Amino acid sequence: MKKILLILVIIACMFSAGCISNPYADIDWPLTLVGADGTEKILSVSEIAALPSVSGHGYAVSTVGIKYGPYEITGVPLIELLNQVGGVHEGQTVHVSAADGYLWVFSYEQLLGEDLLCLDANLKEMKTPAKMTPILMYAADGKPYPYDDGGPLRMATMTAEPDVITEGSLWVKWVDRIEVHG
Amino acid sequence: MKKSLLIPAVLLIILITLCSGCIAGDKTVVKVVPAGSLLIPLDEIEQEYEALHPEIDIQIEGHGSIQAIRQVTDLNRSIDLIVVADASLIPDMMYREGPVGVNYTDWYTPFARNEMVLAFTPESAYADEITRDNWYEILARDDVKVGFSNPTLDASGYRALIMMMLAEEQLNRPGLFNTVIGDSFKPALMVNKTENGSILELPVLLQPESGSKVTIRDSSLFLLNLLESGGIDYAFDYKSVAIGQGLRYVELPAEINLGDEAFAENYDNAAVYLGFQRFATIGNKRTGLPIVYAVTIPYNAPEPEEAEKFMEFMLARFSEGGEGYPAPL
Repeated sequence: MKKILLILVIIACMFSAGCISNPYADIDWPLTLVGADGTEKILSVSEIAALPSVSGHGYAVSTVGIKYGPYEITGVPLIELLNQVGGVHEGQTVHVSAADGYLWVFSYEQLLGEDLLCLDANLKEMKTPAKMTPILMYAADGKPYPYDDGGPLRMATMTAEPDVITEGSLWVKWVDRIEVHG
Repeated sequence: MKKSLLIPAVLLIILITLCSGCIAGDKTVVKVVPAGSLLIPLDEIEQEYEALHPEIDIQIEGHGSIQAIRQVTDLNRSIDLIVVADASLIPDMMYREGPVGVNYTDWYTPFARNEMVLAFTPESAYADEITRDNWYEILARDDVKVGFSNPTLDASGYRALIMMMLAEEQLNRPGLFNTVIGDSFKPALMVNKTENGSILELPVLLQPESGSKVTIRDSSLFLLNLLESGGIDYAFDYKSVAIGQGLRYVELPAEINLGDEAFAENYDNAAVYLGFQRFATIGNKRTGLPIVYAVTIPYNAPEPEEAEKFMEFMLARFSEGGEGYPAPL
């Protein structure tokens, strides 16, 4: 019992001394979510990182064949994140836009992991598609996702299996606004 | 080896390595961002240039043409040479003030042209039957599958749509566009025929019906992989890309293939509105234009003199041409 108390005291001291800190606390990157009915909610990266998250494999390829990854990625499934503003339903689209003026549109089916392409190491289409989950990624390989790679918030297609390559066009960098339309 | 000889030996090895240019850090880096359809010829040109200039490291990073320009204009990256598959994009996107009060560029050099073709393989349906005269009849058959790149991501995608819109008019085949492409979508894509020409407005989500005759992929790279694996029979793509990939192809009439300046007015009769504006800095209308490649050196090129030397070499090589090269102007 004394031992446990001692460990708790040490942990408390480390927190108060800033030895264990939230790595997302100082990231100034507000994300605006807009629901289909116009409901708006702004979340910080720290608040997003506190939501229930998923982790898995991330590996993308650009339209000209440049591969990015593989990474171990962590984030919030987009379909679940949108529950913060009323959710997204069949027939609706999700517009993900970025600080650099880029926009990409996802279908509801894509958020469910359908209508997505997966490729093998030779960039040939896989006959048996892997299970895929579009997520809003905030960490890769256990660290906050860096700005130079499109962080702190980037769309990614997560797979449960390793070495599955996904379409880079969906990996929107520097995400700062997500809207549900329709 | 004696200890007294070890240090001079190590120093000698380092000296030889430096002289032979094996340490990349000593080289002058020239960053080149080209359109994806130039990657095969540029890979060859890069190797030739570096063999002649071992002190130079040409670093090539391919993108779609609009994304290539955005590396400078929207992402503020320092790039030495921008090479695009649509010359009109340079004045449209770069003839404006950048962050230090000067234009991103004020000039460009057009240097090559390309044209749309129908790429196929010996295994494609009716491969032994298709010709320049019957290609549209073959494509219209129920059991023939066609593909093109995503028009929102790749210029060859909207150029494929424009080419088919022009074909319907030029060949006087009402309904051809819908038979080959439009009817594979729900609702069907509809071309509006106005006194100013044919206009196609794409939906926000451009997804063909499952099991229909049309397949869309993000870019040529994925489309041609699908063609080669038998997933589609014919792909709309650039002639140089089809040749570079060793594919068979059908040439299309100059009136519709977007490859001949003499028909520029004709090409201008078709336009596509993409389903959404992917980039804040460029609108979503794409009009039929001759396919002309162009190069420029942005205002903030870190190595403008070396960029110019490489550009001159590159232009000379493109004027000679080669397998997989777009045709010289």
